[in-house]
Formats: sequence, C-alpha cells, structure tokens
Amino acid sequence: MIAKKKAWVMVAAVVAAVILAGCSTQVKRVGVEEVRDISGTWNDTDSRLVSEEMIRDSLSGGWIDRFGMTSKKAPAVIIGNIRNLSQEHINTNTFVNDLERAFVNSGRVDVVASKNERGDIREERVDMDLNASEASRKEMGKEAGADFMLIGSINTIIDASDSEQVRFYQVDLTLVSLADNRKAWNGQKKLKKDIKNAKFR
Amino acid sequence: MLSLTINWLGRQLFGLLALLAVFVLPGCATYSVGIANVEHETSERNVAAALKALDKLKLSGADQMLNYLNKGTLLRFQGDYAASNQQFESAKRLMEMLSATSVAEQTGSVMVNDTMKAYEGLGNEQLLVYAFKELNYLQSGNVDDAAVEARQFDIKQRLIAEKDTSATYLSGAFVRYLNGMVYEEAGESDSARIDYRKAVDGYAAQSGVTGFGVPAALKADLDRLETPHASSRAVPARKLGQVAMQLQDTRDNGEVVFILHNGLGPSLAENNVMVLNPNPQNGSTILSVALPKFVQRPVPVARFELSEGSQSASSEIVEDVNAIARKSLDDRLPMITGRAVARLVVKNAAVKETKKKSENAGAAGLLIGLVSDVGAFASERADTRSWSLLPGNILLARLSLPAGTHNLKVNFYGSNGNILATRDYTSVKVRAGRKAFVSDYYLKAN
Repeated sequence: MIAKKKAWVMVAAVVAAVILAGCSTQVKRVGVEEVRDISGTWNDTDSRLVSEEMIRDSLSGGWIDRFGMTSKKAPAVIIGNIRNLSQEHINTNTFVNDLERAFVNSGRVDVVASKNERGDIREERVDMDLNASEASRKEMGKEAGADFMLIGSINTIIDASDSEQVRFYQVDLTLVSLADNRKAWNGQKKLKKDIKNAKFR
Repeated sequence: MLSLTINWLGRQLFGLLALLAVFVLPGCATYSVGIANVEHETSERNVAAALKALDKLKLSGADQMLNYLNKGTLLRFQGDYAASNQQFESAKRLMEMLSATSVAEQTGSVMVNDTMKAYEGLGNEQLLVYAFKELNYLQSGNVDDAAVEARQFDIKQRLIAEKDTSATYLSGAFVRYLNGMVYEEAGESDSARIDYRKAVDGYAAQSGVTGFGVPAALKADLDRLETPHASSRAVPARKLGQVAMQLQDTRDNGEVVFILHNGLGPSLAENNVMVLNPNPQNGSTILSVALPKFVQRPVPVARFELSEGSQSASSEIVEDVNAIARKSLDDRLPMITGRAVARLVVKNAAVKETKKKSENAGAAGLLIGLVSDVGAFASERADTRSWSLLPGNILLARLSLPAGTHNLKVNFYGSNGNILATRDYTSVKVRAGRKAFVSDYYLKAN
C-alpha cells in the first residue's frame, strides 16, 4: 500500500516537473555569428553580412590613399542619413556603427560626431566653460570638420504569392566629398532570401 | 442497489446541468454584447475607461487579434501613437501566423461553432491596420517609417486580392490614397503617382458597393503628378465642388490633412433560427442554426468644415467601412451557412447517439438526453466578432495654409445641416511644401 502511494507521489512529481519546465522561460546563449533565421525578415545575420562587406570594401578601396596623397592627412568622415526605403522597419545603426568602428580602429580614417551626437557635446562644452578648471576647459570653435559624408539607402524588392516570398535587399553606401560633392566610394551589398511559410499550423 | 446507483448518477448529472447553466451559457454571450461597454466609453471620449473595459474582457486565445486591434485604436485615440503601433504591429504578426490553416480550428468550427477559429481579421480590417499605422507614424513626424508601412501594404493587398479576385472592394483605395501622400512626403513622387493611380482605380471599382466615387482632391493629386506642366492645374479647387485641396501649388504653403474617424463601424448580431424537432428521440429536441447578421450603426457626422480665419475646406468621404463590411458579410454568408448546416447535422447525430445509448438508464438517461440537448443548443453561436472600434466611415479634408503655426477650427455637421459640435485644434505646425496630419474621432450619434 505504502509502495503504491510512493509510486503515485513520484508520478505526480514527474508530471509537475514536466508541466513547470514547460512554463518557465528558457534562455540559451548563442554565438553572435550563429545564423538563426526565424521569420525571414531582416535580422542580425543580414546586418553582419552588410557590415563585413562594407568594411572590407571601404578600407581596401583607393579613396583613402588618394585623399592622403592630395591632402597629406587622414580623411575625416561624418555619418549622414541612411534612408530605409525597404518594406521593413530596419535599424541601420547596427551596420553603420560597425563601419564607423572599423574606420576609427584602422587608424586610417577619422570619424567626427554626427549631427545628432554633437548637440550633447556642444552642450557639455558650454557647461565646461562655466564649471571646468582653466586647464581642463575645452574651447569652442575647434571642432574637426569632415571631408566626407557617408550617406546611403536600403532598398528591397519582394515577390510574394500565397505562402512563398522572395526577398531581395540592396544596401548602398556612398562617401560624398563635402568639398565638391564628388562620390569617393560606393559600397554595395545584395542579399536574397526564399521564404516558404507553413500552410498549416 | 441499481436504483441507488441511478439516483446517484441522476444527482451528478443534475449538478452538471446546473453548472452548465451557470457557467457555460453566460460564457456564450456573443462578442458584440461584451464589447458594448468599451464602445460606450469610447463614444463618451473616455478612452482610459474604455481601455480598462477592454482589459476586463480578457480577449485572448482565439480572440487575441480583437484585443490588439481595439487596443491599438484606443491608444491612437489617446494620442499614444508609439504604443498604438506596438499593438497594430502585434496584430500584423498574428495575421501572418494565422494565415496558415489550423486543422483543429477548422474541425472545431464544424463540431462546435465558428468562434472556435482564431479571429484573423476580415480583409478590409487587415488593410486598414496599415492605414492607422501610417497615420500614427505621420502624426509622430516619422515619414520614413510610414513609407515602410505603405510598401508593406502593397504586398499585403496583393495577397488579399489574390485570394479573392472578385472582391474588387478590397482594393484598399483609401490606404492607397494615404500611401500616395506618404510617398510624396518621403520625396518619392513616382511611388506616389503609382499609388494615387491605384487609389483612383480602386475607388472606381468599389463605387458600386460604397456609392461614392473618386475623391476630388485625389483626382487633383493624380493630375498634378501625371501631368505636372498641364494648364488645368490652375483651376481653383472650389469649382470641383467645395472640395478641400487648393490646387495652386504655392511654394510657401503647406497643407493640413484632417482625418475623422466617423461613428462606430458595423456590429454583427446573432440570428438564431430554431425549429422543434418533430422526432426528438432521433436527435436534438431543438434544431438551431446561428448566423451573423449585419447591424449598421448611424454615423453622426455628414460632413465637416476645417478652417483657419477666412481659409476653409470641406470634408470628403474617403472610406466607407460600413458598406464594405456589409458586402463582405454578404459574400461570406453562403460559406458560413454551409458550415452551420454541416454543424447541425454533426450535432444532431451526436445527440441521437447519446440518447440511444442512455435510453435504458431511466431518470439518468433522461437527464443525459437533456444535457446533450442543452449542450447542442447552447454551443450553437454565431461568430459576431469584428474590429468593433473601426469607424463607420472616414472623412478627410485638406487645407492649404502658409508655413507657420496655426489654430484650426472644425465644425461638424449632421445630416440635416445642423452643427453638431465645434472643436479647436491649436498650435498645428505647417511647413512649406509639407503636409501636417491631424486626426480626431466623433463616435456619438446624438
């Protein structure tokens, strides 16, 4: 009789454990380079592929050397507007920040604060003027001007019918000379996905 | 011993029957009854109370979509555009998920009733989600994100039209019109021209259903983009029938686009057809079929006039939600009826089988028969779900104004030409060559 009771308790415990395990949130750490496509929309892998291509192409292109030969200094770049002309709400900051980081870390390209970033910096400089010591205070009017502006766009073409879609993404980035509007570098990355949604659930 | 057992069984079944009456039947109240309080609070412009009432309904599971759609609308009325778009985005994701067929739900709809199927939104409702998302973005000053919605709409509309090629009223003409304005704001005049053209075609195709044609301001937009140098552009707008758009494209002017959610959209009620079975031992005592029927609510505003000083513009109807919903139900009704009849046959066979098996069980058998009768009758409910807070129709007016900050006035007129109300909209910023989007809702019919 006692053995029977024990067996029931054990069965109940196992059932409870299974049910509770099903209810709990599960988190599994994965490598940032692991490809996990869930819905077929733009994701971290797309952003990474764009970053890699743009970094490789921009740093190996001849524009840095050409600018260095004529100006005898590293080119300074400011990040402009990257327009999202696609069918998805895409955060362009992820690959633009990667490119910016690669420019700075390469030591061959300077990056100056963008329009959105410099407001806070200027405010801080005004504050410094009032509150910082003479020795540490930074003067106004000594900002580095940019030589090039990075602009670009993301475009998509989607062909969809029933539960199948082909999504094509094209990311274009361009460095435009602020002195004469000449385009110094054009980077491009194309991605294509075939998505088949389930017909039954 | 046997009679004791039968008595015990009888008591248990009586308890079961009582429980069924207490819990199941009230739970079967149709959706349109439950949402009435939300609609009432919204009509009184008490959005916070409406949100609370909506939360109390606990719309989840098969009704989750209705929660997203109605909450998105209420948050939009509240001016919380970001939160509203979160709800609408969730609705869009759910729509995508529900577009796959569920065998279990299909079976449930034939065995129990149509509310067993998850509500995925009717075609026109799905299209209007994009319009409201666009408007939320536009009213937050985020044109590029509004343009993303416009591009997504293009695919969605194509997929909906592909499923039912005869439903020309599902062209999303109003959303196309809005898309055109969004694209113009985003500086994509070619895309704007294409969507204005599709909007014109859509309005023409659905005019047999809605009873109105192409809005004059839209015609003027298309004309402006298709023939940018034509002399006809100099024709003053007022000659086109008191319509909003000022056609002369003064570069120092911007434009206010005012959109009104007018009245509450259609509601569905239950139409229950019941017949006493002449031979109740061979099936259900009452044979019943429940079908949804269309209930049109009155739209309070016949037209409105948007003005600032001596400048004014009259509204045009740009979307007749009522007419499209009515046509959509008419088109779906044969299929709904077919399923209801199939359900009747299935339930009747099940009740017959239950009664046959329990006919020798005396009093308990009678109770089992009664329970199965009540179960079959109570479970037969019509699917009266719809996006309740959609407007009955949408009115739009466009007023060209010089760049600057403006205080606008809107007079709302009833069908007798009487002024229903006057509302002020202060500090509306108009930029040269750009559109400023303003919206409001007027739901109360009195």
